[in-house]
Amino acid sequence: MNFLAASIESLGAKVVGWFTVGYGMFAFLAQAGVLMLERATWNRATFDVVVKQVYFTAVQILHVFLGYALVISWLIITIILSTARDFGLTEFASEMTIRVLVLELLPFLTALFIALRSGSAINTEVALMQVNSELDALAHCKVPPMQFEFLPRLIGGVISVVTLAGLAGLLALLMGYLAIYGMDTAGFDPFTQTVAKIFDFRIVAGLITKCALFGLAVTLIPVTAGLETPKKLFMVPVSVLRGMMRVFFAIVAIEVVSLALKYI
Amino acid sequence: MLAAVAALPDDVARVSHELPLRANLSALDNIALIPLYQRHFSATESNRQAQQLLDQLGHADIAALRDPDMTPAQRFITKLARALILKRPRLVIDRPAAMLYDVPYPAFIRELAARADMAGTWEIYDFDWNQVLYNQGLHPE
Repeated sequence: MNFLAASIESLGAKVVGWFTVGYGMFAFLAQAGVLMLERATWNRATFDVVVKQVYFTAVQILHVFLGYALVISWLIITIILSTARDFGLTEFASEMTIRVLVLELLPFLTALFIALRSGSAINTEVALMQVNSELDALAHCKVPPMQFEFLPRLIGGVISVVTLAGLAGLLALLMGYLAIYGMDTAGFDPFTQTVAKIFDFRIVAGLITKCALFGLAVTLIPVTAGLETPKKLFMVPVSVLRGMMRVFFAIVAIEVVSLALKYI
Repeated sequence: MLAAVAALPDDVARVSHELPLRANLSALDNIALIPLYQRHFSATESNRQAQQLLDQLGHADIAALRDPDMTPAQRFITKLARALILKRPRLVIDRPAAMLYDVPYPAFIRELAARADMAGTWEIYDFDWNQVLYNQGLHPE
């Protein structure tokens, strides 16, 4: 009986903890959203920090990311093409390539890439700022941390994931064309027709929304996890661990919901 | 934090080891943040004001340094410049011994105060047992 009560109590505490974390994240997001709509936020300083964030998150890693997207795309396209040939489904190969790679796999991998590279760095930096009282110092100087530190990271994350996923998608389309039709321009018409058939307004809007949510997840969750860190240096790795686990679950949840909305 | 310091009003600019610099910004950027975000000056103008303040304090050479690369005295000067650029009527230096453990600090602060162009007052909150250091500074003999 005691065991049962303890289990229920522990489960209850966990559920309350999840709700508290969720509430904290949405409250933070709402605060960021309100600030974004304020005209005063959009001064030169904030704009400069956003540009800097986009540079660090997307531009700095562009060559590595495109190389990685190229290898993954080439591998998946080769697998899809050889499987389609084996089953006599070659006419569906281009559609399958686009659906698997451009709509699902590349945005997901982009989000993971940014989460591992920038999300973990953001989580660590915010946790250290919290532990070292740097946020208290900013508050004393009346420099708004949301405007100076957090909002540019959120915007930079969203722009970076949407742009990188878009570039990887374009690269995959090019690779797909070359793998199916080679350098022959005869395949241009059927290929563009397939692309146009798949990318209707609903799919494009869904893809952009999904990428934007990925971008938000890989920045918002690390920031809020960092802010939750108690002022003890040894808690920084714990904060990063928690934050990155939440980012992983959020990315998977967004992907699962997107798949369910599209195909069920 | 000292209770007296904790109770200070908002119009006080504090220099304290509990209010660190942003570690990933240079000394210049840490100071320039204030005109940039509070008074909405351009980045160029904010940097100019920050550099002018460092020049005035006689430490123009620390502008590019980040917190981990600074000596305690350089870190103190950056914090002091950040507090001065806030242009608040009172400046409180909270337990200088915690920040300036490598220099005879009463004389050091006095020298900086003579260089700084500030209209308000400077106050130092320190432990009683350090009183002797200030007396030594005033009566070197």
